[in-house]
Amino acid sequence: MTRRWRWRVVLATVIGLATGVLAAAARPPKFAYQRVTLPNGLVAILHQDRSTPIVNIQLWYHVGSKDERPGRTGFAHFFEHLMFKGSRNVEPEQHTSIIASVGGQANAYTTEDTTVFWQTVPSQYLPLALWMEADRLATLRIDQDTFVREREVVKEERRMRIENQPYGRLNEIIYEQAFTTHPYRHPVIGSMDDLNAATLEDVRDFYATYYVPSNVTVVIAGDFDVAEAEGLVRQYLGRVPKAERAVPRDIPREPAQKAEKRVVVAENVPLPAVVVAHHITYDGHPDAYPLHIAAKVLSDGQSSRIYQRLVYQSGLALTAFGQANLIEHPNLFYAAAIVNPGQSPEAVEKALIAELDRIKAEGVSPRELQRSKNQFARDYILGRETVQQKATHLAHAEVLHADITTADGEFDIFQNITQADVKRVAGTYFTPQSRVVIHIMPKGGLQ
Amino acid sequence: MRVFSIAALVLTVATTAAVAQTAQQWPREFPPRPLQARAMAFPPFEVKTLANGLTVVVVSQNEQPAISMRMIVRAGSAQDPKGKLGLAMLTAALLDQGAGARSAQQLAEEVDFMGAALGSGAGTDLSFINTVVMKDDYLNGLGIMADVARRPTFVPAEIERQRQQALSALKVAAEDPESVADLVVERLIFGFHPYGMPGSGTADTIRGLTRDDFVAFHRQHFVPNNALLAVVGDITSADALRGIEQHFGDWARGTVPPFTPVDPPQPTRRVIVIDRPDAVQTEIRVGHLGIPRKHADFEAVSQSVKILGGEGGNRLQGVLRSSRQLTYGASADLNTYKWSGAIIAQTNTQTPNTVEALRLIVDEFARLQREKVSDNELEAAQAYAVGSYPLSIETPDQLATQVLNMLFYELPVDNLPKFRERIEGVSPEEIQRIARWFIRPDQLSVVLVGNASAFVDRLKGAGFPLVERVPIGRLDLLSADFLKP
Repeated sequence: MTRRWRWRVVLATVIGLATGVLAAAARPPKFAYQRVTLPNGLVAILHQDRSTPIVNIQLWYHVGSKDERPGRTGFAHFFEHLMFKGSRNVEPEQHTSIIASVGGQANAYTTEDTTVFWQTVPSQYLPLALWMEADRLATLRIDQDTFVREREVVKEERRMRIENQPYGRLNEIIYEQAFTTHPYRHPVIGSMDDLNAATLEDVRDFYATYYVPSNVTVVIAGDFDVAEAEGLVRQYLGRVPKAERAVPRDIPREPAQKAEKRVVVAENVPLPAVVVAHHITYDGHPDAYPLHIAAKVLSDGQSSRIYQRLVYQSGLALTAFGQANLIEHPNLFYAAAIVNPGQSPEAVEKALIAELDRIKAEGVSPRELQRSKNQFARDYILGRETVQQKATHLAHAEVLHADITTADGEFDIFQNITQADVKRVAGTYFTPQSRVVIHIMPKGGLQ
Repeated sequence: MRVFSIAALVLTVATTAAVAQTAQQWPREFPPRPLQARAMAFPPFEVKTLANGLTVVVVSQNEQPAISMRMIVRAGSAQDPKGKLGLAMLTAALLDQGAGARSAQQLAEEVDFMGAALGSGAGTDLSFINTVVMKDDYLNGLGIMADVARRPTFVPAEIERQRQQALSALKVAAEDPESVADLVVERLIFGFHPYGMPGSGTADTIRGLTRDDFVAFHRQHFVPNNALLAVVGDITSADALRGIEQHFGDWARGTVPPFTPVDPPQPTRRVIVIDRPDAVQTEIRVGHLGIPRKHADFEAVSQSVKILGGEGGNRLQGVLRSSRQLTYGASADLNTYKWSGAIIAQTNTQTPNTVEALRLIVDEFARLQREKVSDNELEAAQAYAVGSYPLSIETPDQLATQVLNMLFYELPVDNLPKFRERIEGVSPEEIQRIARWFIRPDQLSVVLVGNASAFVDRLKGAGFPLVERVPIGRLDLLSADFLKP
């Protein structure tokens, strides 16, 4: 089987067949799911998987840091914290303990585009989880004391993740340099000054605006009876009142960058870092898929171009990678490296740009393209093992692509990408005028 | 019983204003009752030993068309010879940098093209090689794994490359406060016992390693009678075993050198402050010696540590985060190794709160030793452990890892499915008996990595009169006073 498949690869290369006929080694099973829209606007997706008697429940609120206004950054993430502070029938801090006391796990995270609350519980506790989620969606307690106290926890989170880590500010630096207008300019955790300036009214207003059923997708994956689960969703989440106003989506667009930007910053880092970024498109755009392939050719595995050139062959970098950050609105492709002692950031920058230019000039080889597709198939399969992973893929397709069929469909889209597609998107996006080059140097100079 | 205790947690009077209108119409009610519980069949697995002593685990499960292979070799950084710290780590890193007839680049190209993944590394007691392939590539993947485990070439150019990478990584880790705190607390607790030594070596020891060292370490430890191999995923057990026989059946037994570490030293109750003047937070570690994994009281000790700072319990999180907002996270871990172990609590807090956070952690150690754990608290912790067990074996890979762990620590694998009896067999009295001898507030070692001058003067008043201060640039894990000369 394996040998025959290899032969087909070679053959296809020689006679120039469309790569679409080169199926990857194995096609993962397709998702079966049901999609329901409740009268209050909430969307529910049910995916049955009876292999283990557990169920994962995720609520995706379509609000992230990009929905925040200047001067009020950090709200989406702060709300992720506040949602554990009690609601009409659930005492503060008890959400996680109650889930734990039945043997479940619960947590939440915030991105630029979404705020996600999840729990995995033994399957008989599906009603409990939905009941608690509905409770905090409808009746979150928001008071001055909680607000002020939880703000201190968020400040510690920021110190821990960003301020007290070598390279912890790397992301922040990249985005504040690359964006001028779109809220992707500010970090998800936001500014502590903004959080300090926030009033209780601001917080309540944010809740009333974004924490409404029409802004929520619930995905349930695991061992349940579909009709019963749908009934429970209707019973608990269905009774949350419909919002009186539509969720605002007036997010400012980023104007096209006209000329290359270059920045040198001094930070608390042990070794210099170099970032070469380009403005690209959004997740789900037809160009997004070849950009992912370009990233794989550049840096997935030890045979990838950036690893080979910067780490293996020249020893320029301790670590180096290229990545397409494809999210809901146009974002960045960036190649980055940590510069080894004795090597210069200039040489590292030159090597990174040379690799991006090479894709533009030469494209990728048939073998590299097939390698990337095989690696994509691997990620796809290994990324859908647990009920939580499955639910996440379904939610991502529904909320960020506004098209649930992509949860499966992306597999085939990737397998059909051609060499010409990759070369074309490199030509479109890896231009000097869309480039941002950042050198992050150790404070106090090189040792 | 469970439903009532939940009700008690939720139905108290709401005193604060929720969003007004909704709240008025929203019912006040008890949480819903659970549905009928669904039975969990413990997934099947097979354990076999080949004629050459290689222990093999097979878990057959065909939901996804992938197969994962995990090998464990019973030698890790604890087996680093004196003066050769980092040998196990660097040996493991070199395994896939040239093996059998393939160069490092050929190996990388072949693995990547298959859409496979290959990784190797070393921990404290063991080294590992992990491979994932799509199901059609099983024999190819196993062949590569056999080369990597049995026939690494240790090419001089690759050794130099990995050495440079290891040296750069040490440079970065030396300025990472979490990493520094972890290394120093282990060195304090275990002293100069192998478990106290840095597995990633020091710049001097890494520079001193030679090709002969790697060859010798590999020859001594990477033998079938010192290894375990799990094959997991979309393959029948017969096919899995046939492949293993083909690629590992002729692997020759070897004589593994005996390992007889001295006991860890008596606790010294030191407080080490690693000074990092530009820090905005202090990394805090507090701990003492624990038990080896095979200890008869492992289950009860583990539960008492979870109550102190683990999943399903965690008093530290309750006090430090929920009540006092001093941190984003606090926890305590029971690290159990083959020969010994440690209990280590950790958190981080902004510099001005350092002493208060430390004081609270130490108080929680004392409270656990002094007071009996309440029935409710233990019941909740055990309910979590029992209920969440199926989550921990959801994928075949997770199950195989648990089986490998049991085999590695020479524990009976037949006990795995008896998780409920094992967990619920521990009583509050048992926890208290355990806490009395196990939890030792008087023997705690303390490490603080942060801006020392902002808090050292207050440590004395908080009951820590003897403080040793080490500038981060002068930290030397191999000297008794942690100071480079």
